[in-house]
Amino acid sequence: MRLLNKASVRYLKQHRLQSVLSLLGVALGVAVVLSIDLAIQSARIGFQVSAETVAGLATHAIQSDRGSIDEDFFTRLKLDLNITEAAPVVEGLVTSTSLPGRTLKILGLDPFSEGPFRPYTSGNSPSLDVNQFITTQGGVILTEELASEGGLTTGDSIVIFSSGVRWALPIVGLFQSEDRLTRSGLSDVLVMDISGAQEVFGMVGTLTRIDLRILDSERSYERTIGEITDNLPSGLRLENVGTRSETMAGMIRAFDVNLTALSLLAIVFGMFLIYNSMTFSVVSRRTSFGRLRALGVTRNEILRLILREAFWVGTVGTVIGLALGVFLAQGLIGLITQTINDLYFALSVREISIDTVSLLKALTMGIGATVISSLPPALEAAGSTPRAASTRSIIESKTRRVIPMLAWSGLALCLLGWLVLLLPTRSLSVSFISLFAIITGMAAITPLGTVVLIEFVQPILSSFFGTLGSMAARGIRTTLSRTAPAIAALVIAVSVTVGLGIMINSFRGTLINWLDGTLQADIYVSLPGPQASRASGTLSDSLIKDFVSADGVVGYSTYRAVDVIRAEDTYRLVALELDQRGEGAFDFQSGDSDAIIRDFQLGRGAIVSEPYAYQRQLDVGDSISLAGEKSARSLPILGVFYDYGSEQGTIIVSRDVYNTAYNDDGVTSLGLFLGDSSQSDGVVQDLLDNVPVGREVTVRSNATLRSASLEVFDRTFKVTGVLRLLTFIVAFVGVLSALTALQMERTHELGLLRASGLTPAQLWRLVVGQSGLMGLIAGVLAIPVGILLSIVMINVINKRSFGWSIQMQIDPEVIIQGIALAFFAALLAGIYPAFRMANTSPSVALRRIGE
Amino acid sequence: MIESGPSVEIINVRKVYPSGDEQRAVLDGASATIRAGERVAILGPSGSGKSTLLNLLSGIDEPDSGTIEINGLDLRSLSENQRTLFRRNQIGFVFQSFNLLPALTVLENLLLPLELIGKTGNEANERARFLLEMVELSKRADSFPDRLSGGEQQRIAIARAVVHEPSLLLADEPTGNLDEDTSHRLMERLEDLLTSGKTTLVVVTHSRDLADRMDRALALDHGGLVEY
Ligand SMILES: Nc1ncnc2c1ncn2[C@@H]1O[C@H](COP(=O)(O)OP(=O)(O)OP(=O)(O)O)[C@@H](O)[C@H]1O
Ligand SMILES: [Mg+2]
Repeated sequence: MRLLNKASVRYLKQHRLQSVLSLLGVALGVAVVLSIDLAIQSARIGFQVSAETVAGLATHAIQSDRGSIDEDFFTRLKLDLNITEAAPVVEGLVTSTSLPGRTLKILGLDPFSEGPFRPYTSGNSPSLDVNQFITTQGGVILTEELASEGGLTTGDSIVIFSSGVRWALPIVGLFQSEDRLTRSGLSDVLVMDISGAQEVFGMVGTLTRIDLRILDSERSYERTIGEITDNLPSGLRLENVGTRSETMAGMIRAFDVNLTALSLLAIVFGMFLIYNSMTFSVVSRRTSFGRLRALGVTRNEILRLILREAFWVGTVGTVIGLALGVFLAQGLIGLITQTINDLYFALSVREISIDTVSLLKALTMGIGATVISSLPPALEAAGSTPRAASTRSIIESKTRRVIPMLAWSGLALCLLGWLVLLLPTRSLSVSFISLFAIITGMAAITPLGTVVLIEFVQPILSSFFGTLGSMAARGIRTTLSRTAPAIAALVIAVSVTVGLGIMINSFRGTLINWLDGTLQADIYVSLPGPQASRASGTLSDSLIKDFVSADGVVGYSTYRAVDVIRAEDTYRLVALELDQRGEGAFDFQSGDSDAIIRDFQLGRGAIVSEPYAYQRQLDVGDSISLAGEKSARSLPILGVFYDYGSEQGTIIVSRDVYNTAYNDDGVTSLGLFLGDSSQSDGVVQDLLDNVPVGREVTVRSNATLRSASLEVFDRTFKVTGVLRLLTFIVAFVGVLSALTALQMERTHELGLLRASGLTPAQLWRLVVGQSGLMGLIAGVLAIPVGILLSIVMINVINKRSFGWSIQMQIDPEVIIQGIALAFFAALLAGIYPAFRMANTSPSVALRRIGE
Repeated sequence: MIESGPSVEIINVRKVYPSGDEQRAVLDGASATIRAGERVAILGPSGSGKSTLLNLLSGIDEPDSGTIEINGLDLRSLSENQRTLFRRNQIGFVFQSFNLLPALTVLENLLLPLELIGKTGNEANERARFLLEMVELSKRADSFPDRLSGGEQQRIAIARAVVHEPSLLLADEPTGNLDEDTSHRLMERLEDLLTSGKTTLVVVTHSRDLADRMDRALALDHGGLVEY
């Protein structure tokens, strides 16, 4: 129908502002979802590529908890067990002054064993001069890109710090692999001869792991596996490489699901927006549709007309959204890799990989969401009889009848969502579905809330502002079919912002309390490194000796952390030599703290963090196992302590217990107690002054470490903050468009008011006042909803995602912010229409015949 | 003039509207027969149900009881969709409130009924322009309806109602906004047009003058139709 399409286009053009806002809504919704998807995908792909490149063609690896395997075992493997395809590997993380802020991985390899494993390092690789590689002491090879990033080239030396010790390593060659994937997999890797790497990491005579190639297509597969397993010394495990990297990738699953869910919220808001603007555009053309029906245009033709329009708005909006999403992903990838680095594992992803699946997904989602959300208004417009379609009072009375029903079904939906939350499952998807159900249910209740609130404020407004005040209130109630969805959208947007705000604040508050309790020492000594909370490297013995005997130091605790990554599980193992002064550091879920600490000090068992116990469904009395080189033993859990340092979970044993299992006297960090706490800044300075040249060590006072920890916290919540902002922008655009449309639609009515003597200033006050009132109502309704959402997010979603207990804490600031946000957003939405209306002469306003 | 069988058959029609808490019958036991090609005026005071009757005849609205047959077709036997298609093909309607489409120009408003029955292109264009000429508004072809005066809008509404040569033309006070001279000229031309196409005409009017030009007049009285 050429003419009908023409009319559609004209309508959209005439309502340019609304059309642009609709497009923007779709575009932003799609952009948020796509960017999160792309950023997470890219991080995953980056991880996978680097894991695969580093593992090469290895199928299995012999691993230990501590990454420390006696070299002799490798010799035995080759000679006694006759395993030919085996390669020793020494691996570790370092930092470099040439590449500040990045974590580099040193991969120490034996070129003669490499043949079957990593083609890029084997003897016959054209880019590699094996002789030079082996003969140059400490020589490293890196990718051209990495070298040029640090302004380095062959012949230069790259300065690195390993365990705080400075090394200058000559660059003997650059990878010039044709293969882009290999290059990106090696983007943060320095390849070294194995003996050099052993020296750098102070692990002469030991290996990090042994890579193996055992193909299950071979007949001897089972026998080989069995033979190796039987001969494994204590503390060593034979692991499948794929399973292991899956376990590692799985570490970010909860993080991933949470971000994705949050990004989906943006699409939900986008849909709300589209629903709203389509409803408006349909409602304001009701009369036109009625006239068309009277002329003989069928219901289906009307339906198709509206859906076609939605399809085009959806398509154009989505295409803009895709471009915007790719752009946004570029910014998010940095934040996301930073968080993964802070919380999970070393990862360097610089560019996003744009996969077609993500694009198609976003495309379908954008267009689908637009069409689906315009279905209700389209069906409504098409379904009504030609006469009813043009009678507004019918719509309004229908709306009024629907409101209580809507509220009841909303309540039912909330209850259903709540019940689903009570199900004994830990599934995150289920939790998010119920969260969304609760949000939707709440949205359905808001119209009733609006009516009730207006009933309440109308007399107040009328006594303060006279007829105009009561008119503003009445206007909202008499046009509920359009005001209610706008208010509902605003309520949901603001409540999500409030909910997230409460959650982040509560989390931060809990963390501060926890830090105050946990950080008992006056000074903390650790190795520098960009990873906030991950353990790497150990402090040197002499340094420890110097520090603990320094002036003013009266006691110390040592802390040894090992990030255990097993094919089936990952957690942090900590050996703690706990000074008596630090015994109050733990806050246990249950039991007598003093008794638990006494037993712990006596080596009667281990204590585990809350996430460790929650995720593995363990409790006091259950046991954990230590599998070290010296012995393997199992220990009872003495207590479960609150901890927010690692979401994988932490096991802490006393140093003595640790030493019975592991052959390791390393110390990751040191806590010093002073006779006089007020001296800590001076002592920190003294200690730093005594650090030998060429060594790097971080010495921080209690207060500095505390604020550094909070900085990491804030950094990890940056992504959430950005998403919260984006989601709010989408919602804001929605509200802006809904309220603008609402006021624009009243042109005729307002023209009448002007004609009957309302001054432009009065009209201005009426329109802006009414918008502001709607904002205020939405703000007030959003607070309980926001609090409810935060309860669910804190007690269910967070608990199931990370296993943390968070004390809920409602800041009045968050509440006030929420109300102000709603109020000002709505006020702003009223300004343009008010301006237009006040400046339109009544005759023009009246002349515009009903559309 | 009376040539063939009935074009419109109204049998015992009742239409009730809610009025406050009670139901009020606007039409009650209305019956009448109008032959094909006949021209009938409907008279009656304001609020007596004239527009309601036209809505029923066009299938825009449905009676609560009774039967309406147009060209031998019982409207009740048609589905909503069939009724719409029937309206598009057989009926022209001059609405009391014009019902022009604001998003279309004057010319496009005339082209729409043609497009609905599948007529586009030059022929349609010529037909639309011919009718614009007839209502003396050729110059306003590209204006939008909200730029026209009330009387001009009414003339466009008349042109639009006949542009697709309907077999039944329903007109709700088609000259209500026109001065006597214009009204006269317009009706003459319209009658010419209809006679050649043998269109049945049902026109609601307060104007004695217009009623006198018709073959017959019916009056609405207490919900029933009586010969005037
Ligand atoms: N949808 C409706 N709901 C309730 N009452 C209606 C409805 N439509 C019409 N009425 C009532 O039915 C009665 C007849 O209306 P109608 O429009 O048919 O009158 P009319 O004879 O055309 O009057 P006029 O000469 O003023 O145009 C009026 O009292 C009107 O109020
Ligand atoms: Mg009437």
